Amino acid sequence: MRKSALTSVFRHLASTKLTLLWMLLLAVGAALSYDNPAETSIWVLVIPMLLLAINLIAAIISNPRINRRGGLLIFHLGLLSIVLLAAIGRLTYMEGQVEIISGGEFSDDLLSEVRIGPLHNGALDDVNFVQGPYTVEYRPQMMRGRTYSQVAIPDNQGGWREAVVGDDRPLVLEGFRFYTTFNKGFAPILSWLDENGQLIETGAVHMPSYPLFDFKQSNSWTPTDGDEIKFWLQLETGLTAEEAWVLDGRRATGTLVVNVAGNRTELLPGQSVQLAGGILRYEHLATWMGYKLFYDPTLQWMFLAAFITIAGLGAHFWRKLSAEPLGLDDELRNENKHAKGSMSASRSVAV
Amino acid sequence: MTELPWLYAGITAYALAAITSIVGVAKLGAMATTPALPGISENQRNNERLVLALMTAGVVLLVITLADRWLRIGHGPFVNLFELLISQLFSLGLVYTIAYWRIPVLRTTAVVVLPLMGVLAVWVLALEPSDSVFPPTYHNPWLWAHVGFGKFFLAFCLVGTGLAGVILLRGRGFFKNLFRHLPDNVILDKLAWRFMLLALVFDSLMLTAGGVWAQDAWGRYWAWDALETSSFLNWLLLGASIHARTSYNVPIRLGAILIISVFVFAFITYFGTPFYSEAAHKGVI
Repeated sequence: MRKSALTSVFRHLASTKLTLLWMLLLAVGAALSYDNPAETSIWVLVIPMLLLAINLIAAIISNPRINRRGGLLIFHLGLLSIVLLAAIGRLTYMEGQVEIISGGEFSDDLLSEVRIGPLHNGALDDVNFVQGPYTVEYRPQMMRGRTYSQVAIPDNQGGWREAVVGDDRPLVLEGFRFYTTFNKGFAPILSWLDENGQLIETGAVHMPSYPLFDFKQSNSWTPTDGDEIKFWLQLETGLTAEEAWVLDGRRATGTLVVNVAGNRTELLPGQSVQLAGGILRYEHLATWMGYKLFYDPTLQWMFLAAFITIAGLGAHFWRKLSAEPLGLDDELRNENKHAKGSMSASRSVAV
Repeated sequence: MTELPWLYAGITAYALAAITSIVGVAKLGAMATTPALPGISENQRNNERLVLALMTAGVVLLVITLADRWLRIGHGPFVNLFELLISQLFSLGLVYTIAYWRIPVLRTTAVVVLPLMGVLAVWVLALEPSDSVFPPTYHNPWLWAHVGFGKFFLAFCLVGTGLAGVILLRGRGFFKNLFRHLPDNVILDKLAWRFMLLALVFDSLMLTAGGVWAQDAWGRYWAWDALETSSFLNWLLLGASIHARTSYNVPIRLGAILIISVFVFAFITYFGTPFYSEAAHKGVI
């Protein structure tokens, strides 16, 4: 009795009409988030997917048209696994941005715009690499080409190994994937000294993204116990908008223009200026690279699931189509005869 | 723009194939009211040969167009609408020509399929034949897989649409005679849905390959951008149509409308979304 009631429930949940209804609901949800996923509630997609997942599970359990056909069963199990993996992915993912200065080491303190799933458990603390120099190819009209960002990674034997990262060649460490972005630029290294020339602090000030904001390379810095110092950077990078060009921070030079209380001073690397409360020294010009960080432990599994799902679908269709003749054979035979000149045979069937 | 003469020649070959196929079917329609004559069947056979030859010539000329452009600008037809349309004209033409050659029953569908391709041809002629810049994220083998699977998907949809178009048209008075020599609608319907099954497999492959490419290119495999959402809705419509067709006794004419809807949606996704969204995928460049 209990078994038949359960079967009845499964049959209702597995209804093919419900499948169509939930598919329609999912289509509506996707349409609502069209081109505006950030502003649309995630539930317009999650609820229909959940309903479809229930429908799928019930169908897999109770529908012999599915669970007795290997290919179709694999396809439906695959669809279910994709939905589950997507859910696990959203629960455990992590995304963020990070800007790292050349010679600087990655630290999770540098991360910004972090988005993280509630069950994220990645070992970001174990991620370690040091940023090296980079080059970016530009075509005429400032069209950005490939980026080659050099990094050094501990080889766990006391040494370092080098790697080159790009927009489409991520650095993958502990499952975290770092991609270069258009966001990169220059950073003057500045020191703040007291009146006696004793070093108080040294810091890097990231200037706006270059060459995107070539025209406004300005920023400010407030040293410890000092006033805000406004400055801008005059760069010589060889940039020519009309011709192909390679951005290479090692070939660039920058003059720091310091503006305090209306007094303008130009500094080259190694030069200092006396300001109220201390001395500002422009050490050298460095570069910074902006990375996109992505973590999703389900990535490989998702690919595998998608592959198996499609293989199951293909196998099912192959078997089904091989087993069920189209009824076209006679027609085809006649048409082939017709193609060889026996037109009347074809007509006698069709007309 | 050394490739333009080849393009014009390729499109002319397709246009002649369309005209020849329409003339051939019109003759068959006229013949349907009179007893079959061996001389006329030979004419029809020659007509089909001519259509096949013209379509083959069109495909070859478009291959030359693409190769010439590729050599000139240094990359394949993956970026702007002008080159994407040429590429689609080539791939749709190639798949349809093979289908036309191997499956004789499909030959009459040329009167639906070739005019549809004519829409693309007119469109490409109306576009500025500008060069494009290859984005850094396009240096990826998965782009090839993604685009290649997508081409097969659209081509199988096109063949299905040709059959669906014939099913719908032959119900109308004027076209009844034209398509009388074809097999029953039940058979055309089965054949059309077989192409849609193939389309679903290749659509799924396209989405999967696209996800792998997107992960490498933009650091995420799926972000519900305009093109991704359109593609997903297209997959959903195709999947729901096949689900309905296999689960219920969908009337043949309704099935034909569903097939055409899938093709129209795919057409809008491929060629409409780039108008709606400036970049094919946001953040692409």
